Amino acid sequence: MDELKENLKKQIIEQLNLEEMEVSDIANDAALFSADGVGLDSIDALELIVLLEKHYQISLTNPEEGKKAFYSIDTLSEFIRSRQLQ
Amino acid sequence: MNVKITSTVVIRPDACLVNGEIVLSFQENSDDGWFRQIYRFLQPDYPKFYKMDQLSQAAFLTVELLKKEAGNVLMTSSEESVALIFANRESSSVTDSLFIDSYQRNGSPSPSLFVYTLPNILLGELSIRNKWYGENIFAVFPKFALDYYEKNARILLDDQVTVILCGWVNVTEGKQEILVFTIENEPVDDAWNQLMVQRSGFEFTA
Repeated sequence: MDELKENLKKQIIEQLNLEEMEVSDIANDAALFSADGVGLDSIDALELIVLLEKHYQISLTNPEEGKKAFYSIDTLSEFIRSRQLQ
Repeated sequence: MNVKITSTVVIRPDACLVNGEIVLSFQENSDDGWFRQIYRFLQPDYPKFYKMDQLSQAAFLTVELLKKEAGNVLMTSSEESVALIFANRESSSVTDSLFIDSYQRNGSPSPSLFVYTLPNILLGELSIRNKWYGENIFAVFPKFALDYYEKNARILLDDQVTVILCGWVNVTEGKQEILVFTIENEPVDDAWNQLMVQRSGFEFTA
């Protein structure tokens, strides 16, 4: 089990008020912002930016970077790891 | 002659009433809060409910109750045929306070709270849920005023707009005043509407 990915899912569920969702409902490669995936919206995207700052001390200022990072739990965890190595 | 109130829904702390009749009572021994109990009773399958603030949740639940228990006119209406006229006293003050807390205590403002720091957002939530794209108005008044709804309803009702969904939805810490009613273009004498509001079970606090 990838602890970072599990923690991300718990943090997303809590911060975004995804009340009826469990960690096991979010596949690592599911598209976060697709209706066929997790179904997040634009306000959720802003909350993810706040989450990155609050939990990982990462500031996201480049929208293109954010678009790639926020695709799925896999890409988000990759992004966090790469930023933490810098 | 006046336009006619045709149905009422009230959420009180102890019960939900449709046209003055109790359809659901608060369960003290439940682990769920009152709004969650109502949501589970209705089973609307709408997870976005949990992202809403209390004001939007109150309006959402009242309209879902109306649709479930007495909503024939709403269920058959087209996108433009429903207009929304709402009002309250305290605007979005509870959410405003939570938003201030989010940056004063937690250091960062919450986007998901910010979007609810205007009371008329509940009209957006109702419109999105029900695909109602007609006219909508939200006013902040010192007290409930039936003639505000009647006068605006008379202006809006025509061949295209066939039902007005009206609401007084006021939420403060520990206190809620929630009344939703429909108005249609049927002539009725003035006393009828006063009686419908009195019989709805709504408890006036001001």
